[in-house]
Amino acid sequence: MKDIIRIKSLLSTEIEEVLNQQIKKEAQSASIYLAMASWCDRNGFDNSADYFYKQSEEEREHQLKFFKYVLDMGGTAISPEVTNIKIEYNSFREVFEDALEQEVSVTESIKAIASRCYKEQDFVTLEFLNWFFKEQREEEYKARRALELFEVIGEEGTGRWEIDRHIPKISYSSEA
Amino acid sequence: MQVKEVVDHVTFIEVFTTAHGAIYQSDSESCWYIDFAGKLARFDYRCLLKLNKAINSIDIEQKLMDAQSPDMEIIFICACDDTYVLTLTQIIHFKELLQGTFVMLDLNQIIYNRIYRTAV
Repeated sequence: MKDIIRIKSLLSTEIEEVLNQQIKKEAQSASIYLAMASWCDRNGFDNSADYFYKQSEEEREHQLKFFKYVLDMGGTAISPEVTNIKIEYNSFREVFEDALEQEVSVTESIKAIASRCYKEQDFVTLEFLNWFFKEQREEEYKARRALELFEVIGEEGTGRWEIDRHIPKISYSSEA
Repeated sequence: MQVKEVVDHVTFIEVFTTAHGAIYQSDSESCWYIDFAGKLARFDYRCLLKLNKAINSIDIEQKLMDAQSPDMEIIFICACDDTYVLTLTQIIHFKELLQGTFVMLDLNQIIYNRIYRTAV
């Protein structure tokens, strides 16, 4: 008897499901960053708005990477519904706190997928995830660094204007 | 009648059988034939997975406890040719049939991996 299921797809039903959940998570991240860009733009933090526009685009690219991988491996990629995106923030700092929380949540979610891959010995998907782990190092670093600026510059006086001026300069370069 | 004509030149391999139905695999067509609820229906790879998901997502306990709930369920799978209208008892039987089938398909995959696909 032919092994039709394996012939048709490399992914198990469970892995396909968690990858689709991740597609949704990345789409949500892209929308959240867009909402953050909108808030920053409305409140006069133009550099931060540009930073979040860029972050939103990156999240969309991540979403498509997962999307295409699922399809390429013979699975069904589901275009997700994204709802309940927060549009108002209490402070400039809260935007960056939420951004870091979002990145931490994405890292944890990818770790959970990897753990599932180990369990099923799906080393192909595991290898695919490696790129995302490296990417998350950068994303978390940037989000953490942005919050650090609030500490080192301070929000008093022209502090927030100064922080906004430094946001585009945040970059991560690691040899490892 | 149409199904019968198709079925005539297909070789069936029994995957799993219960007292209430059976699922057969056709290697030449790369699909499965489900003999259940008085009909023989053809399911390809995607449709079989969707059917399994649809059947497994029915909360039988909740339906049994809910006096307002009808004792029937319409199983409509998008992009599939067949629809099932099943009673709760039939759903329980269908669930059993599908679970057994997927265990056998998993077992078949393990056998393939061990015998043909692994170098050691």
